[in-house]
Amino acid sequence: MKRRTFLKSTLGAGVSCGFVPLQSVWGQQAQRGRTLYDKIWADHEVAHLGGITSVLHVDRVLLADRGPRAIQALLDSGNVIKNPELVWTVTDHAVSTSPERYTNLDLSLNNVVETFRNAKPMLDEMGIRSFGIDDPNHGIQHVVGPETGLTQPGMLMVAGDSHTCTHGALGCVSWGGEYDNHHLLTGTVIREKARNMRVNLEGKLQSWVRPKDLILHIIGTLGADSGNRCAVEYAGSVVRSLNVEERMTMCNLAIEMGAATGMVAPDDTTFEYVSTRQYRPSAQYWDQAVAYWRTLPSDDDARFFRDETLDISNLEPQVTWGVSPEHVIGISDRIPAPDNGPYEKREAWQRALDYTKLVPGNTIADTPIDEVFIGSCAESRITDLRLAAAVVRGRKVAPNVLAWAIPGSLPVKRQAEAEGLDRIFKEAGFDWREPGCSKCYGSNGDLVAPGKRSVSNSNRNYIGRQGIDAITHLTSTPMAAAAAIAGRIVDVRKLMAGEIV
Amino acid sequence: MAESDNDTSSGPRFIRQRGIAAPLLMDNVDTDIISPIGKPPIPGVPKEKRAFEPIRFFSDGREKPDFVLNQEAFRNSSIILAGKNFGTGSSRSVAVTRPMDGGITVVIAESFGPLFYDNSIRYGLLAVPLARDKIEMLAQWSYDHPGQELLVDLERELIDVPGMDAIEFKIEPRVRRKLLSGSTPLDELQQVEEQISEFSAQYARSKPWIFQANNQGH
Repeated sequence: MKRRTFLKSTLGAGVSCGFVPLQSVWGQQAQRGRTLYDKIWADHEVAHLGGITSVLHVDRVLLADRGPRAIQALLDSGNVIKNPELVWTVTDHAVSTSPERYTNLDLSLNNVVETFRNAKPMLDEMGIRSFGIDDPNHGIQHVVGPETGLTQPGMLMVAGDSHTCTHGALGCVSWGGEYDNHHLLTGTVIREKARNMRVNLEGKLQSWVRPKDLILHIIGTLGADSGNRCAVEYAGSVVRSLNVEERMTMCNLAIEMGAATGMVAPDDTTFEYVSTRQYRPSAQYWDQAVAYWRTLPSDDDARFFRDETLDISNLEPQVTWGVSPEHVIGISDRIPAPDNGPYEKREAWQRALDYTKLVPGNTIADTPIDEVFIGSCAESRITDLRLAAAVVRGRKVAPNVLAWAIPGSLPVKRQAEAEGLDRIFKEAGFDWREPGCSKCYGSNGDLVAPGKRSVSNSNRNYIGRQGIDAITHLTSTPMAAAAAIAGRIVDVRKLMAGEIV
Repeated sequence: MAESDNDTSSGPRFIRQRGIAAPLLMDNVDTDIISPIGKPPIPGVPKEKRAFEPIRFFSDGREKPDFVLNQEAFRNSSIILAGKNFGTGSSRSVAVTRPMDGGITVVIAESFGPLFYDNSIRYGLLAVPLARDKIEMLAQWSYDHPGQELLVDLERELIDVPGMDAIEFKIEPRVRRKLLSGSTPLDELQQVEEQISEFSAQYARSKPWIFQANNQGH
């Protein structure tokens, strides 16, 4: 095997003729108004490789379940990890969400619990932060990053998981699918620059309409590929009014519109959020960091390849009826007939309805369900759990419905328990479990039973996603909670108004 | 057969592929359709046929007759013709490698899921973005000429179809260079080592908080 000696040869080398910032097309672009994405891209651009491809500096490399093994394998073959202090790892997909998991290690996959335990001293010594299930900050990677302050505005972050775009809610550039050794060896990534797209949301949000409804509506309106090769910035007065956790839900589903990443410009809401995090910039650098972050929002004259504005004043809670997040309607809408759909989508709509066993023309409301899943990197933060608890408080899960609530991280779980939310869920008949990806994805064995219908607050309703022949209806967290109580898909507003018992 | 080189000491190569093109003109063929993971496999399905499992087989292992790769003329296809957003979904590499296990080395689609696209570059499957009318033309030709082959040539960025004008396509220069040469990302980064060193040093000076965050607790 060819031994990699990357960078070792140049450390301390006296020759320094190589670095000329490459201007070419980028130089001209810098004269015009720039977007948030343009600015972060430019600030990380190490070299231009021609066309739209550049080498970029990486501020955070996030490794999930395979992290400790990947690092060990590199070290075993004699490599040096560049910038270990910028690397962090967490186990989430492979861990069991059972309360027994701390003692019964066989419940998790691939010995992941022991691997994280055994690797911890080595990772600590290298300055690589790791979050096994014993760590008080353990949780789903896209909950942990922002929650601990490892994710900060202006950063460029890569990870393996596709929902890495979630972190863009803090005003950084982040994407998934990157897990090659060269990030660890060089501290850089090779990337094609995406086009700039902006989605502005204006109007007044109705009560019980959540960021999940906003992003599902965007995907339903613009399409599951509308963000293709675009970095999407969510903007407008509605987005500005969202808290950081709510912005995370929107950015989480950027990948479901085919986008390279999703972002929200950092503002005072963001800075306040970061200021209370464990790994925030130290006091010594805080002002300098904030001053830099304030330069990042898109310029007034920034140019977008695509710029969409949607008025959401009349938007009601959304529910998916098919097998793509773009197959979405309002709770009072009827299931669409393929023959009335756009010509190029008719076949896909028919195939989707064959799978979800729904009848065109019927209302989506009152569809009976078997399971409810509340969890996932889309929405399992304290804001979401508080709303779900408000819905289930004093009520009971419908007979024959299996309902799970899974906090996104141990800090979320502790906070929820301090507020008594766990008791509310348990008294209603929910299973209150340990943090992990769980049924959103199912690789740890948490699956929707074959052929059963689940209302889920997660992000994918693909064929077989939550289990063999399992049917998924994506909704907001309070809508999922309402479905658990009613045993069917219902409008949470009607449940809360006492119109549904 | 694609001209390729799977030597582990260098990256995968793609130069050209002559083969049968199978029309799968659906939009949003997602990664849970292409390569479901985390769920029990359908019994009796051989490794080279595991791609597209949920739409290719019934749960008892029988083939679904309407799926294109189950049809006689398209069983030996090496090229897939698809609609919008092919490979949308997760970052799983098996969404690329399972079709490759079954001999698929080219996907021609209107657009691709971003992570499927990244993985295709990594593993040497050629993802060709093309306008819908051209894809429909190729699909029609494939139906009209069962068992006949077309040629996808990355070097010339052309698709040669017998009896038709060649169809041009465009691949990002760096991707084309990488696939033609079989270079790895590390090979490419080695070319800019000096720049990386210089950049790292000045970057750490200008944004010190990024590097300290991991070493402190409050």
